[in-house]
Amino acid sequence: MASDKKISLGNTFFAGIWKENPVFALLLGMCPTLAVTTTVGAALTMGASVIFVLICSNIVISMMRNLLKPHLRILMFTLTISTFVTIADLSLKAFLPDMSTKLGPFIPLIIVNCLIICRAEACASKNGIVISIVDAIGNGLGFTLALSILAAIRELLSTGEILGFTILANTETGGWYTPWAGMAMPVGAFVTLGLLLGVVNLINKKKA
Amino acid sequence: MIKNFIEKSWLLIVASLVFGLLLAGTNEKLGPMIKKQQALKFSKLAGNMIEGADKFEIVSEEPVKIKSAKGKDIEVKSLKKGVDKDGKILGWAFEAVGSGFADKIKLVIAVDAKFETIKGFGVLLSNETPGFGDKIGKPDHKFVTQFAGTPAEDLTLSKIGDYGKVDTEIVAISGATITSNAVVSIFNTYIGQVKAALKEKGLL
Repeated sequence: MASDKKISLGNTFFAGIWKENPVFALLLGMCPTLAVTTTVGAALTMGASVIFVLICSNIVISMMRNLLKPHLRILMFTLTISTFVTIADLSLKAFLPDMSTKLGPFIPLIIVNCLIICRAEACASKNGIVISIVDAIGNGLGFTLALSILAAIRELLSTGEILGFTILANTETGGWYTPWAGMAMPVGAFVTLGLLLGVVNLINKKKA
Repeated sequence: MIKNFIEKSWLLIVASLVFGLLLAGTNEKLGPMIKKQQALKFSKLAGNMIEGADKFEIVSEEPVKIKSAKGKDIEVKSLKKGVDKDGKILGWAFEAVGSGFADKIKLVIAVDAKFETIKGFGVLLSNETPGFGDKIGKPDHKFVTQFAGTPAEDLTLSKIGDYGKVDTEIVAISGATITSNAVVSIFNTYIGQVKAALKEKGLL
């Protein structure tokens, strides 16, 4: 019995990171994926906020799963999620004001991020607290990982820097690399995401 | 009927109450910190431009009202004087808002004690195009530095010119004419009217 449970916990965790990665496999939460991946810092902050909201909402929803009535389900999910998102938003404003202005409306928009509603509906409202927490961490990390990869590529090509470290010497400071402005704009997000999805599909195909 | 109603929705009512209290508590705790951070950001930006300023004090409790370019009444927020340790006024700083390319642009504008030369500006809030318009947020970009030392008069924007020359002609960021224009028009809206308002109060 014990080993059964362990396997299912591990599966739940890794499913969120690769097989059912919210961005690369399920294509959930595209709005922050495309909008806040201009820099790695922003992507990591976004990821951390999503992990926090996801864990808290999964815990609360898992605890009240037996009380949920079908017709009030979505309403309860949204209420729970919006509470934790507001807390995350206020905390960012108080402790990381620069990041908060940079992320702008995208933190409050986590409320309508379908990734979190999806986990509430698919996992937390059907499973116990432990599985729900593991599921939240797995999916949250999967989301953060996907955002960070996308952001690293875009930040490198659009500024030549990653997290403030110069990788490609910029022409503005006398180097050889001409910043690719398109990468910092929405078009860069779409192109990079498309190519990454292609790579992920290729890997999955080879594996199968 | 009421029993039926309560039976179906008690969880929602209880949850709303609990979450509401939770949010009220968070807001109570973090609210003052958020206000402090905003004031700190203003002082930091303004302090970079007005050298030697020890702190920034609100000029008057009564809000200063000016007319926007479209003739609307707008309030000048946090019109502050930068003073050194002895209380000598070193310069003035205030928040200025205008429409940019994508969103509102919120600036801190700093001028010298006599309100004759502009010390520069800092960006509190902007959502301009990355790689183009967002250069206004980089304090060492040549577009931003050219404002320092400019006479506090009506500014004009030109697309070609010398960034190094200090005069009322502001040279635009290439590829971001609308953003450059927005910054210049924020200056033109605020500088003259704030100066007049300060004169009226007998502070200049």
